[in-house]
Amino acid sequence: MSEPLDRTRRYFLGHCTGISLGAMALSRLLHQSNASPNTPASLSLKSGGVGVRATAHRARARRVIFLTQSGGPSQLELFDEKPGLSTWAGKELPESVRRGQRLTTMTANQKQLVMPSRTQFLTHGQCGARVGEWLPHIGAISDHVCFVKSIHTDQINHAPAMTQFLTGHQIPGRPSMGAWVSYGLGSENQNLPEYLVLISKMQRPSDQPLYDHYWGSGFLPSQYQGVKLRNARDPVLYLRDPEGLPTQLRRGMLNGLSELNSMRLTETGDPEIATRIRQYEMAFRMQTSIPDLIDLSDEPSEIFELYGPDSRRPGSYAANCILARRLAERGVRFIQLFHPDWDHHSRLSSWCTARCRDTDRPSAALIIDLQRRGLLEDTLVIWGGEFGRGVAGQGDWTSPDAGRDHHPRSFTVWLAGGGIKPGFTHGTTDDFSYNVAENPVHVRDLHATVLHQLGIDHEQLTYRFQGLDFRLTGVEPSQIVQSILA
Amino acid sequence: MSIRSAVFALLTWWPALMQAANPQFGRDILPILSEHCFSCHGPDEAHRKGRLRLDTREGALAQRKATAAVVPAQPDHSEMIRRIESNDPEELMPPPKSGRPLSPAQITTLREWIHEGASWGRHWAFEPPRRPVIPSPIDTSPRWDSGNPIDRFIRAGLAVERLQPAPPASKATRLRRASFDLTGLPPAPGTLEAFERDMRPEAWSVVVDRLLASPHFGERMAMWWLDAARYADTDGYQADDTRTNWPWRDWVVAAFNDNLPFDQFTLEQFAGDLLPGATLLQRLATTFHRNHMTNGEGGRDPEESRVDYVIDRVNTMGTVWLGLTLNCAQCHSHKYDPISHAEYYQLTAFFNSIDEDGKAGRGAKPYLSYQSPQAVRAVNEAQNWLDHLQPIEAQARRDAEIPFQAWLRTQFDQVRKGYQTWTPLVPADLTAAEGTQLRSDSEGMIQATGPNPLQDDYRVYGAPRHSKVTGLRLNVLPHPDHTGGAYSRGESGEFILTDIKIQLRRRGRNQVRDIGIASAVADYSAEQKGDRSYGDIKGVLDDDPRNGWTTKGSPSNGVHTAVFALTEPLVLSSQDELIVELRQRSTLGDANIGRFRLSCSDQPGAAVRSMNPSPLDQLKSAGNISISELEPALRGMLFEQFLMEHPPYQRAHSAVQRASAHLEETRKAAGKLDIMVLAERTNSRPTHVLVRGVWDKPAEVVQRGVPTALSPIHSDLPRTREGLARWIVARDNPLTARVIVNHLWQLCFGAGLVRTPEDFGLQGERPTHPDLLDWLAVEFMESDWDIKKLLRLMVTCDTYQQSSSTTAELQQRDPSNRWLARGSRFRLPSWMLRDAALQTAGLLNPALGGPPVKPYQPEGLWEENFMGRFKYDSSPGAAQYRRSLYAFWRRTIAPSFLFDSAQRRVCEVRTPRTNTPLQALALLNDENFLEAARALALQTHQLPGDTKTRLHWLARRILSRTPTDSEAAILYREWDQAMKHYSTNPTEAETFLARGQISLPVDPSQYSECAAWTLTASLILNLDEAMTHE
Repeated sequence: MSEPLDRTRRYFLGHCTGISLGAMALSRLLHQSNASPNTPASLSLKSGGVGVRATAHRARARRVIFLTQSGGPSQLELFDEKPGLSTWAGKELPESVRRGQRLTTMTANQKQLVMPSRTQFLTHGQCGARVGEWLPHIGAISDHVCFVKSIHTDQINHAPAMTQFLTGHQIPGRPSMGAWVSYGLGSENQNLPEYLVLISKMQRPSDQPLYDHYWGSGFLPSQYQGVKLRNARDPVLYLRDPEGLPTQLRRGMLNGLSELNSMRLTETGDPEIATRIRQYEMAFRMQTSIPDLIDLSDEPSEIFELYGPDSRRPGSYAANCILARRLAERGVRFIQLFHPDWDHHSRLSSWCTARCRDTDRPSAALIIDLQRRGLLEDTLVIWGGEFGRGVAGQGDWTSPDAGRDHHPRSFTVWLAGGGIKPGFTHGTTDDFSYNVAENPVHVRDLHATVLHQLGIDHEQLTYRFQGLDFRLTGVEPSQIVQSILA
Repeated sequence: MSIRSAVFALLTWWPALMQAANPQFGRDILPILSEHCFSCHGPDEAHRKGRLRLDTREGALAQRKATAAVVPAQPDHSEMIRRIESNDPEELMPPPKSGRPLSPAQITTLREWIHEGASWGRHWAFEPPRRPVIPSPIDTSPRWDSGNPIDRFIRAGLAVERLQPAPPASKATRLRRASFDLTGLPPAPGTLEAFERDMRPEAWSVVVDRLLASPHFGERMAMWWLDAARYADTDGYQADDTRTNWPWRDWVVAAFNDNLPFDQFTLEQFAGDLLPGATLLQRLATTFHRNHMTNGEGGRDPEESRVDYVIDRVNTMGTVWLGLTLNCAQCHSHKYDPISHAEYYQLTAFFNSIDEDGKAGRGAKPYLSYQSPQAVRAVNEAQNWLDHLQPIEAQARRDAEIPFQAWLRTQFDQVRKGYQTWTPLVPADLTAAEGTQLRSDSEGMIQATGPNPLQDDYRVYGAPRHSKVTGLRLNVLPHPDHTGGAYSRGESGEFILTDIKIQLRRRGRNQVRDIGIASAVADYSAEQKGDRSYGDIKGVLDDDPRNGWTTKGSPSNGVHTAVFALTEPLVLSSQDELIVELRQRSTLGDANIGRFRLSCSDQPGAAVRSMNPSPLDQLKSAGNISISELEPALRGMLFEQFLMEHPPYQRAHSAVQRASAHLEETRKAAGKLDIMVLAERTNSRPTHVLVRGVWDKPAEVVQRGVPTALSPIHSDLPRTREGLARWIVARDNPLTARVIVNHLWQLCFGAGLVRTPEDFGLQGERPTHPDLLDWLAVEFMESDWDIKKLLRLMVTCDTYQQSSSTTAELQQRDPSNRWLARGSRFRLPSWMLRDAALQTAGLLNPALGGPPVKPYQPEGLWEENFMGRFKYDSSPGAAQYRRSLYAFWRRTIAPSFLFDSAQRRVCEVRTPRTNTPLQALALLNDENFLEAARALALQTHQLPGDTKTRLHWLARRILSRTPTDSEAAILYREWDQAMKHYSTNPTEAETFLARGQISLPVDPSQYSECAAWTLTASLILNLDEAMTHE
């Protein structure tokens, strides 16, 4: 089959250049000419201003696990300790701090009365990180973690903020970070998609649905979009053959299909047919590789004990954390988990704790598990949501019913592995966890840093659409957060 | 292939790299300046560097200190040349860090241009098109000259490229091609034979006219327009509420079928409401500009949303009609095209005074109250289907009487032997997450002792006594050790249960399975204030700790009971045990249950859904009676219970239920609907430039107007949406006709003459055949914007009818077929593939218009995206087989069978065509395609003749051609293997066939052959040829 495949590759180059020649194309070429993906490649060829851009420096991470906490976890309860707030309890937030910050219409007409943190903070590890008591397991792995307490975004409502957090722009239509990475780097596993998405199975209708554009490919070809691994009989849509069709018959049918398509290829000379033949073969391989991947029966009991009791329940965040590790082991490039329902406008102390219980132990277990297997070194783990929560109480701040409204100006994200400085904290906020005091990190800067760790220059990974060279970090200046790099 | 040869392949056709002998400004110079210079020296004043602009001649020639960027005829004195040739990285332009260096060939071209006087011109697309002279034929033989002007232009290009046109494709291929392009469907059975027999010279022309006259023409064109119009049946965003704008979709279909001139089509969609004596349908047309997403997210400022909608309309207009990336000018002046930031907002002013307030859902005024005539047919269809099913259900009920008798006798025996509806779940193990100590006795009574934490999760592990479980009962009991002798050791003595979860675990396995709970009832629930507080038993089912069950305030201080029905009866093996988790995570806490007991039942229905005694318990209470003495009421209850677990009846019953729900929904759609349309406010809103495009950062006020660099708006036109529409379709508008002609070209040839249909600006691609594009644009305008006429011209030219086969040499020279030395070969859009499968299988319901329908989709897709808030029930009966155009489009989760379609979030005029394993899986395993394969199999199976004859029929039916001998041999081999397998495994054959709505053959001995034909049909449907525009 080498002849038609070779033709395909040539064809691929030809076709793609019509829009832009992807870095992936180059990456594939490098792969196929046996160059290691970690080799610094300085090749850059130009054609009419559309460039093929390869990695410019050594990659510190080969893959990403993004633990997306949707809804806006409260940094005030979990990571950003503000002991001084007790003296401000119930007093109005000074205008010198608020400085015209926009509020959602939910609290815009309410007095902004300070509500101190509902948690105690505990000291952890050698690094002495202080973490809220609702996250004891994450606290316990602080020595592996880098807390960035000065992240900020431009959006105050969920969908636009999450869209910006994941695609770099608040309006849907841009490729997600995972799509950019899979476009830029391609796959290390020929039996699985490059970008997989896992969503926690919840029993409560969430107020913030997870749109598929969060893992979409935007204007990139759809092959780069995240493939959702569902907790259903068909983990990938249409994966299972219909009942009553045994594998050997399917195989025979695909052989016949492939023969007939090859004849057509000879007749028409259209290399797209060679691609189609390969895709049907990949589909067949996925019918085995994906069930193998999601079948956790070969995991020992210790693993389930490490990730906590919820990990025994397929579809739970904890079970998805085990899957994330299995995907990392199999060389999947971008693995994204979503855990919804962090939007705690009320009853912070019963509601937020529920989400902490779901995620605390499994998130920490994932780091420990990756580390034990030597995978943490080249796997970049990110934990965070689209924004944080404000210092003012929503509702009667004295009541247990109180919660917090959205807050875009400062919140916490943590990272681990993949060449990020462990046991480190970057950035500080003011006494109200309201404004960034030192070392602001815009979500764009986070994007630039993630790409950097993967060996990609965020200014060079571009795609031509509507006559413009788009990139994940957009047109505003963004910088790599050098001080968190190990 | 080495990298070097890949690069070589790239360079050989990249037009910008081809050195021009006599550089022409528009063709050769402007693209270089735009790509490499305008980002800093273009129209965008705010981002301009060194106050130098190169997008105007004045700017380029302006005296700057001792020199000028461009000195005509003197390249060596031009600062531009000095800088682009500089060796000093500080001086070099473009700056190295911009990543846009010029090639030596480009530098030579710029030199040459200046040397020849630096003539200036405008970007080609901003000059109004003039009708070019049709090139004379190179060769007057019929091979080269068809007489169709399109061929003259294309062939002139081929002659320059020294390429030969391909011979015509076979009649079958041509018919198939035109049928897909003009109706979105393969040739209807019979039409191919008729066309092949028709030897008249005008045969092709007759076929084309028939296709253009088909009502399916309008549907095909509507699919193009709906993608551009970002049409969907829901709002998008958080709530994603359903809207009922589908009558607009039917308006579009009718407009295309009636061949409404495109200028009128435009005018009515922009300003139908403003036209004198506006008709209902003209007002309906304006829905086009309301098809954007609407955001009703809690906490969002509606004004922010309203501004988004206005902007969306301008951007959509820019993409669809003008082929301009107007959206680039939303935040700053366009960096490449001559559209200023202020001009952008002048355009928004036309849409800024719609009588809307930015709300979504049912509050998205202005509405038009409209009743669709198209819905009547749908109601009749739904009614007929229900009428068909009801007698089947009644018969199934009567048929159940006989097995019921036998069942009743066993129930009597059971009751006599002391049957218990509820048996205790005796714990094998008990745990508590936060430290409560739980002890149980042999009867399953559980008592909490030891520490009393604020919150705790109890887990009870145990094997039920019944081998089947339909429900669970929880008793909460008072005890003297509890506070006040009540239910808990907490301060108040009351308990709050926030959630309950049931899981199944098989011994020796690490994973557990969640067991769904369908309902919860209790003997008493405390009165609850609002959704998010404690009281109602239903609160324990939603995984939300902010609500839950408490009996606080109950008049009884005895045992309290809650009963939970499982979603589906659970059949247990001896290795299985249940894990019941009682979560007590209330906000204040300190309300953990002190004493409780769990029991299980195997009775379906009333026993586990109400607090009343189960029918069997009532039978028990009736004492020692015989079957004949049974009270009719109790007998009725027992019969209902029997039916619940009697599959033949359940199948018939659920079909009736689905059909009734469908009828109900269709009836609603047949009533008066609120349709989102345009209507103007009495007082218009002032329009401001928005700083960096941010909605609440208004700058100076602007008036309605159009970008001056395009064409002026005539002074007699009103400054309204009507005037805007008339400007768009004015004869001197340089863009609209070109852009639309290019869309139509793309529909027939797979790619436009301008390969960036969304961008005719400086950064877009130049047309492959500029003269042809202009000729077609002028022809279009001068024939009163007649779409059918233009399409007819395209599909009757020889270029369209060429064979698509290619050679290695041609593939190398023109891989993406820009010169059209062969027919276009590309994968059909996914919606056409489904429609084609339906038509081929004889399943297609050809009805036009009406409320949206729901084709098959894998279970649970909507539910998992919305955590259960929306449920997708596929349409029953003939409604299942409507064209994909009518498929309900939920914006946040598009129909799953439409892989790589437009997203319908924002306007799209070029949908991607990809080739992925996920598509292979969909075409192999999607129920829509499998059902078509089954329907084809049943027909194939019933044909007379031998297997080979039938195989030929099947292949021809799907591919519109007879297979060759070697192809037929492969197909026969696969059929034969399947036949052998299913003959020895007939039950597998039945499983493979028994899905969907198609009835199986009466004689089970035919199942194996039908299964083999199904697999063969599926194979052929998956051939590259079957999914390709050949």
